[in-house]
Amino acid sequence: MRILAFVLVLTALGAGSAGATPAHHPLYMPDAQHIASPTLQPPPICCSPVGPPVAGEPDPVNMAYFGGHVQVTPKVYLVFWGWGQPGAFDHATPGMPSYDPDGAAQRMTSFIAAAGGTGWANVSTQYYETVGGQNVYIQNPSNILAGTWYDNTNPIHDNVSGLELAQEAQRAVAHFGVTDLDNSQFVIAQPQKLNEAGFNGGVGYCAWHDYTQPQYYPGVQPGISFTNMPYVLNAGAGCGENSVNTGYYAGRLDGFTIVLGHEVEETITDPGAEDVIDGQNLGGWYDYAAYENGDKCAWVGYTEGIASPSVIPGGVNDITGNDGKQYAVQSLWSNASAAGAGYCAGAGDDLPSG
Amino acid sequence: MRARVLALAVAATAVVSGIASASTSVTITSPASDSKVSLHRTPYLAIAGGATFADTSAGTTRFFLRRDGCGTTNDNPHLSVTSGTDAGDGCGLIINQVGVVGDVDQSAFIDFPASDGMPLALDGTKPISGQIALTGAQVGIAEVDVTLAALVGGQAVTIGSTTGSAVLDPRGNDTPVPFTIQPNLSLDGSDVQALDLRVQIHGPNVYSGFVSLNGASYVDMPSHAASVNESVSVSIDDPTFANAVPARLDGSSWTVAVATPAVGTHTVYARSTQGYDTSATASSTFTVTK
Repeated sequence: MRILAFVLVLTALGAGSAGATPAHHPLYMPDAQHIASPTLQPPPICCSPVGPPVAGEPDPVNMAYFGGHVQVTPKVYLVFWGWGQPGAFDHATPGMPSYDPDGAAQRMTSFIAAAGGTGWANVSTQYYETVGGQNVYIQNPSNILAGTWYDNTNPIHDNVSGLELAQEAQRAVAHFGVTDLDNSQFVIAQPQKLNEAGFNGGVGYCAWHDYTQPQYYPGVQPGISFTNMPYVLNAGAGCGENSVNTGYYAGRLDGFTIVLGHEVEETITDPGAEDVIDGQNLGGWYDYAAYENGDKCAWVGYTEGIASPSVIPGGVNDITGNDGKQYAVQSLWSNASAAGAGYCAGAGDDLPSG
Repeated sequence: MRARVLALAVAATAVVSGIASASTSVTITSPASDSKVSLHRTPYLAIAGGATFADTSAGTTRFFLRRDGCGTTNDNPHLSVTSGTDAGDGCGLIINQVGVVGDVDQSAFIDFPASDGMPLALDGTKPISGQIALTGAQVGIAEVDVTLAALVGGQAVTIGSTTGSAVLDPRGNDTPVPFTIQPNLSLDGSDVQALDLRVQIHGPNVYSGFVSLNGASYVDMPSHAASVNESVSVSIDDPTFANAVPARLDGSSWTVAVATPAVGTHTVYARSTQGYDTSATASSTFTVTK
C-alpha cells in the first residue's frame, strides 16, 4: 500500500511538471566512468530529491507513467550508416566483410533479431500507455527486428551531429516506408572511424536516444524515435568491452549488445524521450529523477575488468536469445520486482524472489 | 645488451615461415567451350577441370610481442610477425610486485592482439611454444599465465592456455619464461582470422620490472604455409554461385556430375577456394541438344 501511494505521488509529480519545459538534451547512457557525471543526467522533472545513480548499483525507486505513448508492438530498424564508405574502418579481418571487420553489425543484427520473446524483453510488458482511459500494455513479440539498411548512399562524416543523425533517421523512415512511427524506432549505428561528435569528444556517454520535435531537430519530420549508436568498441571497457564474457574475442562485442539493448528498451518504454511540448508530456515511463528503465540498471555489478563480472542480482550478464545463442545485456528496471519495490531484472540473474 | 637483443631478433626472424599467402586458380576441361551435349544420351553431365592451390607445407609462424609506447594512448601492445625496436620496451607491465611468500597476482593482464600474419592456417597437431622475457629488479619465481584466443569462422575460440615459470635473475638481465601450449585439437586445420595472446604475471617473487620486447618475447605458432581447406564449387548458369555444388577434388583435378540442364545454351562456372582466398571464376559455355 505504501508503495502504491508512492507511485501515485510520483505520477502526480509528473503531471505537476507538465506546465514546465525542461531544458532538452538527448537521454544519454553514460559510460562506466561517467555514470554520475552531472552533464549526462537526464533533464530534471521537478523537485528531484535524489542524486544520480551510484556507479555499479541499481537506482532505486519505481518508475511512473508520464502520459506519453509507449511502443506496444515494437519494431526496430537498424541503419548502418556509411559502414561501406571508404575510411569507415582502419583494419580488415580475413573472412569478415570489409564493411564489418569486427562483426559488430552482424552481432547487433543477430541480437535484435533474437531479443523478441525473451525474458529480458518481457520485463517491459508490465508498462503501458493509457488510451481512452484504457491501459494498453507493451507486448513482447518474437521478432522486433523490422529491417536493416546499410546506407552507403548518403555520406557520413566523422563528428556527425545529432541533427544529422535525426536526418538520417528520417531518411530511414522513407527508405523503409514506415507509417507507424509510434511503434517504430531507428538505430543509427556508426562505423569505427566515423562517429558522433560527443562520443568522439569524450563527453562520457556510450549512446543516447531521442525523439524528433521541430524545436530540437529543425527541418526533421516530427515524431521519430531514434538512437545514436556509436562504435562503442572505440571506448573499450568503458562501454562494456569484455564486461560479461572473458576472453579477448569472446567478450569483445559485449558492449554493442549491452548498449544497444539499453537504448532499444528505453525507447520501447519511453519513445517520447521525456519531451514536454507546449505543456504536453510526451514521456512514457521513468522515475522522478528522470531515469528510464535502462538508466536505473546501467553497469550494475560491472567493475571494468578490475574483478570478474559480478554475480550480484541484476548485474550485466548473458541471456539466451530466441535463436539459442548468448548475448550480453544489462538488466532492466522492473517495478514489479522485489515484491513491488522494484529492482533490476531480466538478465538471468534476478533477485531470488523475482 | 642491445647487440645481444638484436642478434636474438635476427635469429628469431629467420624462423618465421608459413605466412599465409595463398593463391588458387581453376580451369574447366569438360564440357569444353562451344561443345554440344545430347540430353537423351547424357542425362547426367560430367563436369571436370583442374585446380591449383598454394603450398600447404607445415612450418612455424613466430609472433613477437611488441609495444609502440609506454603510458600513452597509443601503447598498442600487439603481436607481429616482424621484429624490431619497440618504443614500449621497458614499460612496466607490473611494478613493485611483492610476494616472496605465497602467490601474488598482479591482478591485471595485458592483451597482445596480432596486427599482421592473419589469416593463419593452424597446425593443431603440434605444441605451441614461446617465451615471455622478464627484466628488472627481481628475485624469486615468476609465473606467467598465457592464453591464446582466436577468431575462427567469426566465432571466438580458445586455442589453449598454460603457465610458465622461471627463477628470476636478480642481476636484472632478461629472464626468459618459456611456455608450451597444447592446442585445442579440434582447431587443427582452422583458418585463424584473428589471434590474441593474453599475458598475466604472478608468483612468489619480489619484482619491479617489465616484459622485455625488442624480439625477446614471442610465441611460435605451428602453422601451414597456406590453408589446408581447399575446395572447388560449380554453378550452372549462375555466376553468383547462389546454388553451387561442391566438386570432388583429387590432387590437381576435380569432377562433379549434375543433371544435364534443359535443351539450350548454358554456361558452367567454377571457382576454387583455399581458406579465405577465392580464385577467379572460370566458365565454359556449351549447348544441350535433344
